[in-house]
Amino acid sequence: MDPASRSLRPLLLGGGAALVALVFGGVVLGTSGTSTPDQALRGISAALGWAEPLEPAAQAIHELRLWRVLCASLAGAALALSGVYLQGLFRNPLAAPGLLGVSTGGTLGATLAILVLGGYGPQLLLEGSRAWTPYALSGASFLGALATVSLVLGLARGTARTDPGTLLLVGVAVNATLGGAFVAVQAWVLDDWQVSQALLAWSFGTLDDRQAYHVWMIAAGLVPALLVVPRTAFALDLFQGGETDARRLGVATGTTRALVVVVASAATACAVSAVGAIGFIGLVVPHIARRLVGTGHARLLPAAAVLGALLLPALDLLQLALLDRRLLPPGAVTALLGGPFFLSMLLRHARGRDL
Amino acid sequence: MTAPPLLEARGLRFGYEPGQEVLRGVDLTLRAGEILFVLGPNGCGKTTLVHLLCGCLEPAAGAVLLGGEDARALDARRCARAVAVVPQDLDGVAGVPVERFVLGGRFPHVPAWRSPSAHDRAQCRAALERTDAAGFAARTLGQLSAGQRQRVHLARALAQESPALLLDEPTSALDPGHQVEVLDLAREQAAAGSGVLVVTHDLNLTSQYAQRVLLLADGAVAAEGTAAEVLRPETLRPVYGERLWFGTFPDSGRPIVLPRGGDASE
Repeated sequence: MDPASRSLRPLLLGGGAALVALVFGGVVLGTSGTSTPDQALRGISAALGWAEPLEPAAQAIHELRLWRVLCASLAGAALALSGVYLQGLFRNPLAAPGLLGVSTGGTLGATLAILVLGGYGPQLLLEGSRAWTPYALSGASFLGALATVSLVLGLARGTARTDPGTLLLVGVAVNATLGGAFVAVQAWVLDDWQVSQALLAWSFGTLDDRQAYHVWMIAAGLVPALLVVPRTAFALDLFQGGETDARRLGVATGTTRALVVVVASAATACAVSAVGAIGFIGLVVPHIARRLVGTGHARLLPAAAVLGALLLPALDLLQLALLDRRLLPPGAVTALLGGPFFLSMLLRHARGRDL
Repeated sequence: MTAPPLLEARGLRFGYEPGQEVLRGVDLTLRAGEILFVLGPNGCGKTTLVHLLCGCLEPAAGAVLLGGEDARALDARRCARAVAVVPQDLDGVAGVPVERFVLGGRFPHVPAWRSPSAHDRAQCRAALERTDAAGFAARTLGQLSAGQRQRVHLARALAQESPALLLDEPTSALDPGHQVEVLDLAREQAAAGSGVLVVTHDLNLTSQYAQRVLLLADGAVAAEGTAAEVLRPETLRPVYGERLWFGTFPDSGRPIVLPRGGDASE
């Protein structure tokens, strides 16, 4: 059946149900043992303020698990959505936030903010965190991501318009430069073991010790990106024929481009500043979504968000089930799976087939 | 009686690089119900003119008036509701299904934040039927022949329902049978009240279909008039060179102009 004519509703409903199951599973399972469903349910209700908490130690464990699975889910959705936006804008299915350097830009922005604001601390957290500090971090990350997208966009528009090879090379160059700056920062704070650990956690992502405010940070980037789907989807469809063609059909191309750049940067940046750089979600999930619902953005954007929300927590739970206590950083898992996937996409492209 | 102009260019000047003007003061008027052909050698600024006329480029001097209003004062949607362009082949759309491609023509009619309505989809189906392209609505553009693709491009422009229709070299990729089909459609469109502007290299199709002809050379209007007035040795030879052969269609008496190669037997 033609993917474009398949209804979106089963995917959204099924995805929603699967998400509830994943969240529940994520609270039941954990490195510190398995809870009873009853306990998990009470832990969740208490965390949301709907019930009396369990005894403090158990309540803390359940809350950590809840924030972990919610962070994974929202970050997966944000990165996947950001990937579809960037791919639509660059007219290129390989334009993912990780590959264009947007995640690195966001990471660097947040890292510099820690150094500049001072009082840096472990686990991506500002020491003695005043209420606003995590958001200052997200803000700096957003600026880093925004600057990177704008730079890549400027370079890509100035040189080859749509050639995927050139765009990826621009991404490689930008990524390398920003990565170098990140390593320089790392080297500079090497003496401080805690901060080095935190920065390392950042470069491969971490879901450990997440708090409620991390969930809110990611949501702050994800929600605007979801809200503007109806405003941008039709216009992004028309970008496929080039900006001149879109403009001829009545698209205010400058406004659309700016809006997409801002929401995609914010979604990536907020995810990155809460859970670190987790690669390949923004590449792999949109690809799967295109297979399922076709390339029209009105369907592709929500579908990618749902699939991203499922994939990252599912991988995390799978790890927990298979590896038990020796958990890998989530970015390592996505890179181990996503790298070969990316390679196969490149090979298909090299053979002249549709991506 | 003259219909009010749908599209006017007044003293249009434009250059991509400073000091290198592509257009040096072009005037033209397109009225409802007429079909105007724009001719000119390669690089004379025809495609640039199309970009200016649809508001995609801003002139360095002069103005484009759409329905009497300066295009610079109109947003992209209003420009698109005034002028539809049938582009030459687009890259990047090979994977796009025909139905969704044609739906793009409805963009200027769909309010921001909304999706295309059932009415928009009906307009698209009607446009596909008019261009005899309904049969391949479910395919992607990359799966079509050049002629089919041209009909789909035209369908998108018709779905746009703009009074002025600009066709940028609509016949260059087509075999003779499809060439006349596309221009028949353009002529029908003009008869139904649109203003149609066709940019082309084809002098003989111009001779048969044009009500008025504008000849561009070196970024300026070299001649303007009916086909019989413009397609003459004294106007064409200074622009295209001496190697042209002139004749007339026996039935209509309209001019025929052919490129004249060296004859190997001579």
